[in-house]
Formats: sequence, structure tokens, C-alpha cells
Amino acid sequence: MRIEVERSIQQSADEASRAIRSLLAERRIYALNFISSPGSGKTTLIEALLDRFEGKGGVAVVEGDIETDIDAERIRKHGVQVRQINTRSSCHIQPSQLLGALREMDLSGTRLLIVENVGNLVCPAEVPLGEDARVVLLSVTEGDEKPLKYPLVFKTSRLLVITKTDLLPYVKFDVGKVRRAARIANPAVEIFEVSAVSGAGLPALLDRVEALRSAKGG
Amino acid sequence: MANEILGVVLSEAERHAARRVASVILRVGVLRAVEPEHLCFLFSHLAHGTLADGARLEIQEEPVRVECVDCGKTEARSFAWECPRCKGSGITVQGGDSLEIVSLEIDI
Repeated sequence: MRIEVERSIQQSADEASRAIRSLLAERRIYALNFISSPGSGKTTLIEALLDRFEGKGGVAVVEGDIETDIDAERIRKHGVQVRQINTRSSCHIQPSQLLGALREMDLSGTRLLIVENVGNLVCPAEVPLGEDARVVLLSVTEGDEKPLKYPLVFKTSRLLVITKTDLLPYVKFDVGKVRRAARIANPAVEIFEVSAVSGAGLPALLDRVEALRSAKGG
Repeated sequence: MANEILGVVLSEAERHAARRVASVILRVGVLRAVEPEHLCFLFSHLAHGTLADGARLEIQEEPVRVECVDCGKTEARSFAWECPRCKGSGITVQGGDSLEIVSLEIDI
């Protein structure tokens, strides 16, 4: 006998990411999931944003790495609450790991949660963490063909942040090509060009994050 | 992923009072990082000793749907940023990211 099921796998079975969603909704916390290749500047961008956030006290950060708490230590110096997840054998943060971290944190004053996923453009794209929006980073040193090679992450991200733009004069990176490919993958994607070193582009990104956050949390 | 599939398969099988699950049809988009051979291996390993023991996993590939302003609709096996037919740049790309259980074949 044949049974028609027509059920999507991740939506049906992922209890942990649903639990994260309801925890965030209850506390009106806006959550961003930062995804990129290793070395494209996720931690540096988060640090640069923290330096400029007015309501920094309302920001909490969760760092995901296979090993070490080097990134959490960097973030801690900026005076915000931070948790490190070591994913060990996993190349991405699992929803259950994030849920565990959030349950250990004091989120009473938190308005914005930044999750820095493990550096990887493939697997994190496959695993929703209950976030409100994904932020994919692409540094200009990585090459402009990335949206074509890793379409899923670009298709599912609300924001695309092109990082290290101060290096544009020294590398062969066609910003227009990336913008075009990213828009084909996701016509609604919002694209920002930033340099955490010079600070260029950061205010616009910060304003957008703040607008998205206050739309949810007031 | 294999575990999630098995969970849904078993609950559907139980709901229909199945004696065993003969096969499972999945729809997997070409953009997903799913290796069919690995998935089948893991599924059959996890299904051992359950109603789905020995069930065959059939994977239907879901292509990317390309809509081109110049030449209409077409399909592609990978992400495209120009029309695979006429090489035009005025395209939109949809689909290719499904991960669904389509149906089960069960014995009652």
C-alpha cells in the first residue's frame, strides 16, 4: 500500500530548533546566524559591530568552533555575554547545542543574539537554528564565484555582507558579479559592503540590524 | 537527517498499522548537500530492527527551475546565473532546495 506523506524533513522533525524559536519569541530576542568560510572575518565583523552598538548591553553572542574558545575570549573583551560551543566532530552548530547554550545563559536583558557558526559554507546552510535571519559573509579575498559554488547558503540568507573591502584594490574580485549572482539566488537579499579595518559600510549594516531587531522586539 | 527521516517514516507506518515498510521515496533538491549513498547507508543502519528494516530509499532529484525573460522556463541540475539555454542574464532561479518524504510503500 502506498501512503502519500509530502512532509519536509527539517520542518517536521527538528524539535530543538523549534524550541529555540519559541524561547527567542517569548523573550523577544532577535537572532542572527552568521555563516561564512573560515577566515572571512565573522569574529572581526562581530567585534567591529559591538564597538559601535549603542545598546551593547542587550547583545549576547554564541560562538561555534570545532575546537578552542579563542573567539569567545575575543568577544568577551568587548563586555558582552558570550558562550562558546565546541562542536568537535560536527562542521556546524547543531540546534540542540545552541539550545543547551541558550538555556545556560542569562538572557533577561538580551535583545539581540548573534550566533557565529562554524566556518563552513556547506553544512551550516543545511541546518536552521531557529534564527530570525541568516547573515552570509563573503570576503573579497575568497573570490567572486562563491555564490555560484555554494548557492544554498546565498539562497537562504537575508543579508549578504561583503567583507575586507579595503583589500579590493589588491585582488581580482568583481563586486557586481557577486551582487548579480546573489540576487539570482535570492532576489530579496540585502547586500552590504564593509571593511572592519576602515569602518567603511559598518554604519549602514548596523542601522539595518537595529531596524530588524526593533521590528521584532520593539 | 537519516534519523529524522526514519522518525517520520516510523510514525507514518505505525499510524497506518504497517507490518513493514517496503520503500521510502524522498525528494531531494540538487542544491542540498546530500550524498545519496551515505544517506541510504545511514538510513538502513538506523532502521535495523524497526518496521523499516530493509526498506529501500528511493531518491528523486528535484532540479532548479530557471525562468528566463528571453526564452521561458527551463530546468538545471545546478545553480545557474545565466540561462542554460540562451545564456541570457535576465533569469530567476527557484527550487532545488527540497528535502521531503514524498511517500511510503508499506505492507499491512
